[in-house]
Amino acid sequence: MHPPTKFSLLDADGQEMQFPPEGPVLLALVKEDCDTCNLTLPLLEAVHRDTDDGLDVWVAVQKRDDIPVLKDRHDLTMPLLDDDALDLSYETDIDTVPTLFLYDEEQNCTLQTFGFDKHEWREIASESMTLAGRPGSETSIDWESLPEQRPGCGARNYEPGVYERLQALKSGDLLSRLVDLASSDDIHEFMYDQGYTDGFPVVPPTRERVWKMLQGTTRDPQDEVAIVPPNLAPITVEKVAINAVMAGAKPEYMPAIIALVETACTESFNIHGVLATTMGATPVGIFNGPIRDRIGMNYLHGALGSGNRANAAIGRALRLCARNVGGSVPGGTDRATQGGPHRLTMNFAENEDASPWDSLAVEYGFEPTDDVATLMAMSGGPATIADERSRDGRGMAGTLAASMSCMQDPKSPMVDTLVVLSPDHAGIFGRSGWSKDDVRECIMEETAIPLKDRLRSDQAGAGLPPSVVERFGGEQALDLPVPKFQDKSNIILVVAGSSAAKFSTILGGWAGGVYSTPTSARIGPGGALEIRGRSGADMDKRRSGGKDLGAFEPNIRRP
Amino acid sequence: MVTQILDPTDERVPIKRQLTPRPEALHGTIALLDISKPRGDVFLDRLEQLLHERAPGVETRRFMKPTVAKPAPQPIKDAILEECDFVIEALAD
Repeated sequence: MHPPTKFSLLDADGQEMQFPPEGPVLLALVKEDCDTCNLTLPLLEAVHRDTDDGLDVWVAVQKRDDIPVLKDRHDLTMPLLDDDALDLSYETDIDTVPTLFLYDEEQNCTLQTFGFDKHEWREIASESMTLAGRPGSETSIDWESLPEQRPGCGARNYEPGVYERLQALKSGDLLSRLVDLASSDDIHEFMYDQGYTDGFPVVPPTRERVWKMLQGTTRDPQDEVAIVPPNLAPITVEKVAINAVMAGAKPEYMPAIIALVETACTESFNIHGVLATTMGATPVGIFNGPIRDRIGMNYLHGALGSGNRANAAIGRALRLCARNVGGSVPGGTDRATQGGPHRLTMNFAENEDASPWDSLAVEYGFEPTDDVATLMAMSGGPATIADERSRDGRGMAGTLAASMSCMQDPKSPMVDTLVVLSPDHAGIFGRSGWSKDDVRECIMEETAIPLKDRLRSDQAGAGLPPSVVERFGGEQALDLPVPKFQDKSNIILVVAGSSAAKFSTILGGWAGGVYSTPTSARIGPGGALEIRGRSGADMDKRRSGGKDLGAFEPNIRRP
Repeated sequence: MVTQILDPTDERVPIKRQLTPRPEALHGTIALLDISKPRGDVFLDRLEQLLHERAPGVETRRFMKPTVAKPAPQPIKDAILEECDFVIEALAD
């Protein structure tokens, strides 16, 4: 609560009243639907009458329409000021009415109180008389008839909805351009027409909503979060918040959304390529750590979609940031040949309790107590793996291998592939004592086929170029086994979903995962505390195969 | 009612509503749409007469909404779009 030093409000007759007036003044802020205000307004009127011209008593009313009501109800003659816009209430930051400030003739605030405390009010009344030049005189107030104490009421400027509106309008936190709508505009049609949406309706980003969204992070609204390709536009926390509102996010998702934007815009993840590629890739977010439960993410039934607000909105917010700030628009720099529904949002949490292994985040070097989001670029899937018969790790890994061997096409090697195991499938590996690496090794063995079967042919044009044979020693290399995957670390294993049945999901990486590396952020209140690309993911090495090999470096297993 | 929103973009493009590009000259077919307000037909009759006098090469075609209270049915919109180059709507009495 800050005693105001200067303000201007209109009185009941529309006359502008400049504060401070000359001489001492008693200023009160009240509202009509407050019993304590109604108890005390006659007391203020008594001070006004008893001090005569020696002291001004001004009462600011928090609603314009209440001024005539209070005037009539209490037969008031003191000036009643219109604080309907709550400018004065906001500046003084009062949270209770009535609130009183007593100023001496030099405009120093010497006494203040809120609610009704008879002792304090009596002191203020007595001091008012002194300041009015009548020291020792009592007011006409019958103090004996008044209660000792009455609590005040909540000030209107702190009412839910009003507080946020005032903060949004007056705090100076928001600097984005305001877009005016005509009264005849349908907000949803307008936003679609402006190209702001991903095709679905969005929540209109009003100043109030954006300000509330910003309360979800400790970060300054004007902090630059990242440079967003393809337009290489700087994105501030405020712009993230606007797009988060549109995506349907809650304020508590903000740290995760900021972290994802920061992660996506690293060279390691390469959102530019992910969203520009004709292959139609998209960022897939996987969350680990306590944040999953804290913000209500889903890692049980339907974890991969749909129906959970956090899962859906966080991924959608990232996409909207890329669209609206980065300028990634289908047909523009987004050149996806076909796209897919997972490009709207693809974001889930790992079911860590149901996993027999360390979580993905722990595998990538984080602590189990860290809040971590890992982004992967995926263009294939989600595709279902059904196996209700396997009872041991070998059988289950064989099923995975059989399914994964034909990803993209049976000949082409892949790099990153995300395997989202259901708890039932993961449990089979757990009971068999299989580690993640056991599963990966088995998949590498099972998917290995002779080099000659990975070559392009007239019967099937996809596959490795014939020139690769010379590179690996000529004709004798033709029968050497080549696994589907560049390296076992490219088989990314996580657990999500509920123990409903024995179905799992695979998602293929973009261009085999070559140009975008799984990249993780440790999340703090302001976004990413640190960002790490997956260790061992050496993009330059992967590209060393040269143009003839395309993106791939076949992993030939020599005996 | 929402009257202001914050711009979600990088703000390098001005916000504006595009009007349909205006033609240099009248040509082709003009739809004359009567929205079923009283005396709309009188107004359009006179307009049609003037158009034929002053723009002899231009054809006119008459359309009428079944009721003033509802938007034009889609078949009428489709027909105007397909058959005509311009539309003049007689809005109020």
